Amino acid sequence: MISSAPGGRWRRLFATLLGLQFALAATASADEPWAERTAALGAISVMPSGVLPKDELERLIDIGEALFRANFTTLDGVGRPQATQAIDPTRRKHPRAQMFFRTAGPDAGSCAACHNQPAIGGAGDFVANVFTSEGFESADFDSLDPQFSSERGTNHLFGAGLIELLAREMSHDLHTIRSKALARARAEGAAVRLALQTKGVAFGHITAEPDGSVNLDELDGLDTDLVIRPFSQKGVMTSLRQFTVNALNHHHGMQSDERYGARWTGSDDFDGDGTFAEISTGDVSALVAWQATLRAPVRVVPDIEGWAEAAERGEAAFTDLGCASCHRPALPLDSLSFADPGPLDLAGTLNDRQVSDTAIYDIALLDWAADLPRDAAGRVLVPLYGDLKRYVMTDSQIDALGNELLSQRFVDRNIFQTAELWGVGSTQPYGHRNDFSSLHDIILAHGGAGRSARDAYAAASDSEKSALIAFLKTLVILP
Amino acid sequence: MTHLQSTLALGALCFLALNHSAGAQPAFTADVPILHEEAASAGINQTYTGGWEYFVGGGAASFDCNGDRLPDLLIAGGSSPARFFVNESPTGGALSFRQLETGLEAEDLTGVLGAYPLDIDNDGHTDLVLLRLGRNLVLKGGPDCTFEKANRTFSIDGGRAWSTGMSATWEKGNIFPTLAIGNYVDRSAPGTPFGTCEPNQLLRPAPGEVPDYSESMRLEPGYCALSVLFTDWNRSGRRDLRITNDRQYYRGGEEQLWEMPEGRPPRLYSASQGWQRLTIWGMGIAETDFDADGLPEYALTSMGDTKLQKLDDEAGEDRPTYRDIAFEKGATAQRPYTGDDPKPSTGWHSQFADINNDTKIDLFIAKGNVQAMSDFASFDPDNLLLGGYDDTFHEHGMQAGLALDTRGRGAVVEDFNMDGMLDLLVVNREHPASLFRNLGAATEWGHRPLGNWVKIELDNGTVNPAAVGALISVRTGTRTQTRRIQVGGGHASGQAGFTHLGLGVSERATIRVQWPDGEWSHPYRVFANQHVKIIRGEANARYWYPVTR
Repeated sequence: MISSAPGGRWRRLFATLLGLQFALAATASADEPWAERTAALGAISVMPSGVLPKDELERLIDIGEALFRANFTTLDGVGRPQATQAIDPTRRKHPRAQMFFRTAGPDAGSCAACHNQPAIGGAGDFVANVFTSEGFESADFDSLDPQFSSERGTNHLFGAGLIELLAREMSHDLHTIRSKALARARAEGAAVRLALQTKGVAFGHITAEPDGSVNLDELDGLDTDLVIRPFSQKGVMTSLRQFTVNALNHHHGMQSDERYGARWTGSDDFDGDGTFAEISTGDVSALVAWQATLRAPVRVVPDIEGWAEAAERGEAAFTDLGCASCHRPALPLDSLSFADPGPLDLAGTLNDRQVSDTAIYDIALLDWAADLPRDAAGRVLVPLYGDLKRYVMTDSQIDALGNELLSQRFVDRNIFQTAELWGVGSTQPYGHRNDFSSLHDIILAHGGAGRSARDAYAAASDSEKSALIAFLKTLVILP
Repeated sequence: MTHLQSTLALGALCFLALNHSAGAQPAFTADVPILHEEAASAGINQTYTGGWEYFVGGGAASFDCNGDRLPDLLIAGGSSPARFFVNESPTGGALSFRQLETGLEAEDLTGVLGAYPLDIDNDGHTDLVLLRLGRNLVLKGGPDCTFEKANRTFSIDGGRAWSTGMSATWEKGNIFPTLAIGNYVDRSAPGTPFGTCEPNQLLRPAPGEVPDYSESMRLEPGYCALSVLFTDWNRSGRRDLRITNDRQYYRGGEEQLWEMPEGRPPRLYSASQGWQRLTIWGMGIAETDFDADGLPEYALTSMGDTKLQKLDDEAGEDRPTYRDIAFEKGATAQRPYTGDDPKPSTGWHSQFADINNDTKIDLFIAKGNVQAMSDFASFDPDNLLLGGYDDTFHEHGMQAGLALDTRGRGAVVEDFNMDGMLDLLVVNREHPASLFRNLGAATEWGHRPLGNWVKIELDNGTVNPAAVGALISVRTGTRTQTRRIQVGGGHASGQAGFTHLGLGVSERATIRVQWPDGEWSHPYRVFANQHVKIIRGEANARYWYPVTR
């Protein structure tokens, strides 16, 4: 636990009294099998550390899945009557009576309530859309008007561990380039401009000055700290851990100690629902472990006459039409060791500087990992069909993806991260708002940086278009 | 009592206890930074010495003299020569300084009570004003930590007073700064030292392309100033001059606020304008703005209670009437917080800063008996008043490691190893200076970093390049924090360089700058844990990175 000793004493006192109260009360005991609380909460009393053997990893994963499935209750601490959905702990101006609230949240009893297509951890239908806002001003919006929030579809999480590992390696590469530019500029006494490129993806240029400063005017598609944030439609979340802490608060009003606890807010019950220390660091670790080890989507050609041939042609068209310039079929990954907490999170999400020893989840231990393609150097070729880069997705003619009004965490309204297409065959509908019912429609909605590929598709023959769809539908999530 | 009755009674007790516990808040739950004293190993060996004239003073200047942006130091020595130290600390590592021989004569560096850094001639190199017992000295900074005496170059008469305080501001339309020098007792006046305070000095630059301070102005009456500060106390855009004075020696004196009308002589705010008489043993001024409303609060150190002044919102607009909120804020710090000496404390340097990076401003106060005053505590440790989430201060000097048996005077709260966590230099009387490295918060396995932070450097262009007088406004979520770039205040100690703010759990922030001429910048979006460089007129902020050693 990261809280200081006084906070710990309060929690222990509270827990003791709470336990005594329930022991005396006429209602069901929390320990009874039918108790209306989530048994998996608190199951990890000590944060995992070191390289976990397979059996320990599987146990942690099981607890993580139980938490992901859990319908949180008032005994667990669901709801946040005195706190907003903001990622920075923010009090409401006025407490709210409703436990759940479809627009501003909390909007779900469980993670799996939305992430369920085609299986737990998957995407969501339009009905599972969420409403993203910073949660500072007008946090209690009860309108779908885009001036208050951005409506977003639910992404799937399959292969998310590999995505985060790619992002970490790419961030490391970019930081190394920055350091090289600075070292050269200092040594040469002149500005040094270097291309920011990692795993074949170009992120513009950085110019280092002899005084140790860097000019960031030419960055392209990433944040100024050169951290690839691979999660969410906009690419604004650094890690599964950060996503988990954010989402637990936003969607369920379950507040994690590592951000909403007494260390950062002065209270173990910041959301004012009467439940103290709702989510421990161990709970978050279990949820991260489960998500990080979800198997990667695969490619499956239906055993239907003609599909294989069409998909083969479609795969070629995918490249020929220019789709693959952003939706890169694969990016190489050096290591399958997933460290949690990770290296890139900042205070408010646990990181590797805040703990004595991180836990290492070796994804190679998992059966599905054996099927991952590798290159000649032994690197895993993560078949994500993406590049973890942001692009402007509208132009003056094609602006269907420009339906938002709010920027999100410094990312402008019409800029989105390249959607990873692995699993796209299992996650209809499409688009950041989940309001494109077919692949054909979402392809034609590509403007801005996707315009040339979109136009090439539009100009292609019906046969070629059909083949492309056949190919995309082979990218599926296996339940 | 039946079993049922006892059960119900116990249940009721539990509910009461639950309700109580639910309503109570932990006293202080944020991180307590561990400040590790390592002056000797860091190469800082400097003691402030001397007789009665050096009971006061004992300051330091922190500034970058060699262009690497690491804060270098000049530490006053009183009757011993002041010394320069070049910062060679690795990023995030143990503090390390190398004593620098500047070639200046020992007699020029002797008799120094304090020092303030600023770029007087706008050449991009930080200059130094050395406050001395006798002729004050201006050192013009050059590349690679070179200094040359510049009193003649700048036409500054260093005078012969006992100077203890200094502040600077760029008045509207001026190319060069206006300097205010706070003076203490006139030792040559009949009846000295009681009732013989030296007038203070105002140096306004003459028009022209080079600094020319040949026209000096006396600010009379002087009441034995120990700290002076140009401050925009009423959000007017004009910096007036606040002076804290030592009642030990004045007769009929008080705290002072000089109005600084453009192109006209300063005039004292009077009782009819709302200024209320306050007599304290004023030692140091620190400025902050708790609620970022543009109306700053001031911590005034003294013997006994520290004063914490807030503009009285019932006094009427533009009336400098203050009420003391030190008690309600828990900032009086009137007695030692540890040890068995119950006598009142003696406060000197005061400085607001977010030392644990939790977004709540903290207050450091250097403490120490004047010499051997028996009515005041002899063991008088420095204070670390950490701002809590309950908006009051909580003393944690003991836990932080500050409770040393020294007589503190001047100080600098600064990030010497560029890791985003503020370190601390304290100049001690008749004892080696203390240098504390901020290790972060203690855990069972070592130390963990504190909250997020951002450090900001402004480039205002060719005039006043360091943007003295600018206001930095940093927005995270619903919270706005501000910092004013100032030269002055504290106790005989000043600093130049990055401005630090704690960001808590925020991973990004939006910065706006009100430049010294009053113009507001557009918002700059930055990520946390970065050194940010904002160049006036550029669209985007830059980041700066220390050398990887």
